Amino acid sequence: MEYILKNGIVYDPANGVNGEKKDVMFKDDIIVDSVSDNAKVIDVTDKIVMPAGVDPHAHVAGPKLVVGRLYRPEDSRRGVTQKTAIERGESGFSIPSCPTTGYRYSRMGYGTVCEAAMPPLEAKHTHEEINTIPNLDIAPLPLFGNNWMVMEYARENRIDDLAAFCAAWMKISKGYGIKIVNPCGSEAWGWGMNVHGYDDSAPYFDVTSRQVVTALAKANEKLNLPHSIHIHPNDLGHPGNTGTTLETLKSIKDIKKSTAPTASKRDQTVHCTHMQFHSYTGTNWKDAGSGAPEVAKFLNHNKYVTGDVGQVTLDETTTMTADAPMEYDLYRLSGLKWANKDIECETAAGLIPCIYSPKNPVNTLQWAVGLELFLSIDDPWQVCLTTDHPNAGPFIRYPRIISWLMSSPRRMEMIENREVHKWAEKRTTLATLDREYDFNDIATITRAAPARIDGYTDRGELTPGCKADIAVYDIKPNEFDPSKNPEEVEKAFSRALYTIKDGQIVVKDGEIVSTKPSHTIWTNVTGLEDEEARIIEEIMPFFRQYYSVKWNNYKVHDHFVPNPIRVDVPIRQ
Amino acid sequence: MGGIRMSYEPPITDYDHIVEDCTCAFCGCNCDDLDYLVKDNKVVAVRHACRLGASKIMEDIDQRLLVPMIRGDDGELEETDWDTALDKAAELIAHSIRPVFYGWSETSTECMKEGLELGEYIGAVLDNQATICHGPSLQAMQNAGYPIQTLGEVTNRADMIVYSGSNAMNSHPRHMARYAVFPRGYFRKRGRFDRTVVTMDPKFSDTAKMSDKWIGFEQNGDYGFYNAIRAVLKGKKLHADVISGIPKEDIYELVEQMKSAEFGVLFFGLGLTHTLSKQRNIDIAIKMVMDLNKDSKWGLTPMRGHFNVNGFNIFMAFETGFAFGVDLSRGYARYMLGETNTIDLLTRKEPDVFMVIAADPGAHFPNGANQHLANIPVIQCDIHWGPSTELADVVLPGSFIAVECAGTSYRMDGVPIYMRKAIDKPATCRDDEWIMRELKERVMKLREEPNVAPKYVPNPAAE
Amino acid sequence: MFYANTYLDKPVVDDLEQIPSEGSEKILHCMLNTGSDIYQGACKKRGSTLKEEYKNASGTCYMDPRDMVKLGVNNWDTVLVKTNFGEVVLNAAKSRDAPHEGTVFVCKGPWANTITSHETYCCSDPTYKGIKCTVEKTDRKVLLMADLMRLVYKKYVDETDDKVVENMESLGEMPVYRGRKWEELE
Repeated sequence: MEYILKNGIVYDPANGVNGEKKDVMFKDDIIVDSVSDNAKVIDVTDKIVMPAGVDPHAHVAGPKLVVGRLYRPEDSRRGVTQKTAIERGESGFSIPSCPTTGYRYSRMGYGTVCEAAMPPLEAKHTHEEINTIPNLDIAPLPLFGNNWMVMEYARENRIDDLAAFCAAWMKISKGYGIKIVNPCGSEAWGWGMNVHGYDDSAPYFDVTSRQVVTALAKANEKLNLPHSIHIHPNDLGHPGNTGTTLETLKSIKDIKKSTAPTASKRDQTVHCTHMQFHSYTGTNWKDAGSGAPEVAKFLNHNKYVTGDVGQVTLDETTTMTADAPMEYDLYRLSGLKWANKDIECETAAGLIPCIYSPKNPVNTLQWAVGLELFLSIDDPWQVCLTTDHPNAGPFIRYPRIISWLMSSPRRMEMIENREVHKWAEKRTTLATLDREYDFNDIATITRAAPARIDGYTDRGELTPGCKADIAVYDIKPNEFDPSKNPEEVEKAFSRALYTIKDGQIVVKDGEIVSTKPSHTIWTNVTGLEDEEARIIEEIMPFFRQYYSVKWNNYKVHDHFVPNPIRVDVPIRQ
Repeated sequence: MGGIRMSYEPPITDYDHIVEDCTCAFCGCNCDDLDYLVKDNKVVAVRHACRLGASKIMEDIDQRLLVPMIRGDDGELEETDWDTALDKAAELIAHSIRPVFYGWSETSTECMKEGLELGEYIGAVLDNQATICHGPSLQAMQNAGYPIQTLGEVTNRADMIVYSGSNAMNSHPRHMARYAVFPRGYFRKRGRFDRTVVTMDPKFSDTAKMSDKWIGFEQNGDYGFYNAIRAVLKGKKLHADVISGIPKEDIYELVEQMKSAEFGVLFFGLGLTHTLSKQRNIDIAIKMVMDLNKDSKWGLTPMRGHFNVNGFNIFMAFETGFAFGVDLSRGYARYMLGETNTIDLLTRKEPDVFMVIAADPGAHFPNGANQHLANIPVIQCDIHWGPSTELADVVLPGSFIAVECAGTSYRMDGVPIYMRKAIDKPATCRDDEWIMRELKERVMKLREEPNVAPKYVPNPAAE
Repeated sequence: MFYANTYLDKPVVDDLEQIPSEGSEKILHCMLNTGSDIYQGACKKRGSTLKEEYKNASGTCYMDPRDMVKLGVNNWDTVLVKTNFGEVVLNAAKSRDAPHEGTVFVCKGPWANTITSHETYCCSDPTYKGIKCTVEKTDRKVLLMADLMRLVYKKYVDETDDKVVENMESLGEMPVYRGRKWEELE
């Protein structure tokens, strides 16, 4: 089927298109530069047309999601809706059910989400959930930072073996890239401990975070992976952690990026996730302040680093992360119900509900730090819009964050009217930042930049040959001032006029009009099979003895990934 | 000793091939290291299974359900063909007002998917064995929290294991052998000798006989006992000399032991969920474990009784947002303990059609609940004739998951395992997944989908 | 017939030290506990629930030997156990898990569930443990599973008098239905 979106105002930063009146054409599931006269015309005159959204970091599918849903029926009840002819009933607010997740992203004009953490032992569960989420392409990232074998290789500096291991494990778990969460810390949590700072080591394994992260970064580049290492640094949420964050990022500076074509979409060698949680100064929550200026300055001077913000949205939400010791600390602080799951030989996870209140000084500080980061990092290609869903807030708040970024008056209103605590102006520079994002910047941080950072070659842009993942929003940018109309911005970006996924119209006028099964994006390193086999043989005695499942039953079978988008990455290019 | 002869059976040598690494489809341990010795498409022997697993796999073929049956007017079941049986079942479901689909814990998540589609379409209540089993654990978890770990973590790190209200040697025989107590873990290389095992149970159960310590508190004394432990953990002094039948000195000693463990795990079972305090028992056990994390590292795991009872809860959670007792009769998910759970629905005589799949309410529901099953049509999908068959009006013979049919299950700690197929099912049986799909398609032909909202209405609380 | 080689006629039960003929009490007031047991689990899932072995595994009231002395019952005598919710005839046997004087244990199954409580107290689970009961000797027989289901629920019989139904001809240890037998289906 051929379509032509006529007369829209197109924002396609990857192709340098900034608010041009242009037609966008697609045939079947890809974008084309010409169509026949039979093409169906969709009139989007003067409305915003962008590639569909790409979310580089959210927790949408996996075992800890289920723990959250099981133990928070109050959150599930909050989002219940009745089924319609097209949609199943929804449920959930901060932890939506799988169908709900697909519908809500679709309504916002999103087409791709990166599932930020997948434990290899329970990868089948992540895939079962991905298969239940409609209308999205999902790239799961397996966890490597606390894996026993990774720690051994890192300590002995066996980079080639580590690379083979990562390649094998991405095949086994059908994962997309290398995710590192609180390296060595979640292993220390196996004994109820944590690591502090970047040079602390995990008990028994006697390897520092620095060794693990640099080793994985080298392995990542050796494998020519489309995405860089994706890191959640140590000391998340602790006042004064800016130092750890910068140490972590500095340690990657001298690692050479792969020059292979498969790694050429991205510029970075390290992607720091939810930077907001890692940018605090001070020594405790009484004297805590914002480290955003330092972190932003570092990114401004170092193009090899990218990040996503993890913006606090001031909602009641559920935190869930593989940084299990941090969740326990939050439990000691708040007394709310705490959940935890340690996974043998690999990682751990923790959950706790969190109420981010605008009246609370610490939560306001967190909110302000996030906005500071957005407004102080000069290059929108280095920063992505996320809320680390659901940790800092549910993903349905992305449009609200967009409205804040585009409207300095709105931010000042919140500060001056005391909608937020006065720490916003006392502890951060937010009140002095009047920069406003324009639609091109927004298109960059929500589509073009995440796609480039994740290394996708087929999305995030409206280039002919790319996927026909397109979003149209009900705003006429040439006659609209986002700075003065933040509610309109939020409303328009919450309910896309059209969301098109693989050439299929899934949303029209903010309503779901059709659904399609999702795809799973995973990386298949080729040419390293002998090394992988050797590594597996070496690991086998350990596996047999200390894992509680058999090797034959460990892998993710092909039928768990019925709609794969397999990214082949040859070792020699 | 009693005069029972234990007959000696020589090892089976007459087999065609071995299918390795099969998964046991009995209790929540889902041991995935079973080897089936197959001859002529029959499993003639099984290796590494415990008594329970072996007995299920080496099934008693006399009672294997092999043909679809419908109850005649004279009260006797009569063989029929698949179309007739499926049509009859579909007709009952399609024209029901309050159907309840119960069971699911001994079938695969693939089958559950079809069943949920049918349930969502017609507006049924979907519930599973958690409703008579670990429902209170789920309820307590919703109140208090859920600090758990996978079984391999227990093997590798745990130096103190506590079984409370669980007779693992009878309900999960390989739990101690393969996962918790005997194996030589990475940090517990001496296996049993590196661990302390405590059993808390009013009776001197088989598990207690294998433990280092048995704490036999009084029947219904669980809550008081845990309360005392928590008080001592918080530094309080106990006033009473004896609490729930246990002298306070023993309680102080136990708490010291628990605090000085490096990694402790509490495994709890129906002894806590079925006694009068029910979910409050689990609630306080969870809080006790959370308190212990101040001084030490502790976790817990509910001893789930079926190989896919956790799977159903996980599956329903990611599909609908709720774990069990999900009422879809209005076109959206409702979950309210005491209202939408099977036992309460039955005692209030609400359902008018009851489908039981991979479960046996005839055996395991109390008399007071089953009385209503005697009033309404019951559809059974199962592999063996059992007490539920004595109450069933339509019987659909399924296939044996993990032996005759592959499928995904979730272990008690949430680890997903894809159970492989070893032999073909009998020609007259069908896979559970196929049966559910057929029922769904037939019901869809018979009745237009009820409870569909004409337009999507968002929930304001989610905006 | 293919019988699994884990078939066991009766669960293994220790001998009683004192063999009483007449007990000191006619009716014992006890606490009822029900739950899983390995013999019961093995029969249940194997699918031999119609048979003697399941009746002996699941239709048995395990008692503390001191209680058995008080009542004057030997291993495998029959007792009548009553609660507020029903009554059922069970085998008596010495418990492996003694001492637990004053508590009797019946494995979960249709026999136990004739007398357990269906009250959930808004918690979803019925109350299977900790129910007050009385135990007394009886001459009545322990019924096979099919007969028990017929007596307790009477779904497919018109007769409502318990005594009449209890004494009806036994349905036996094999499935009762009209159709091909499994040997024909082989």
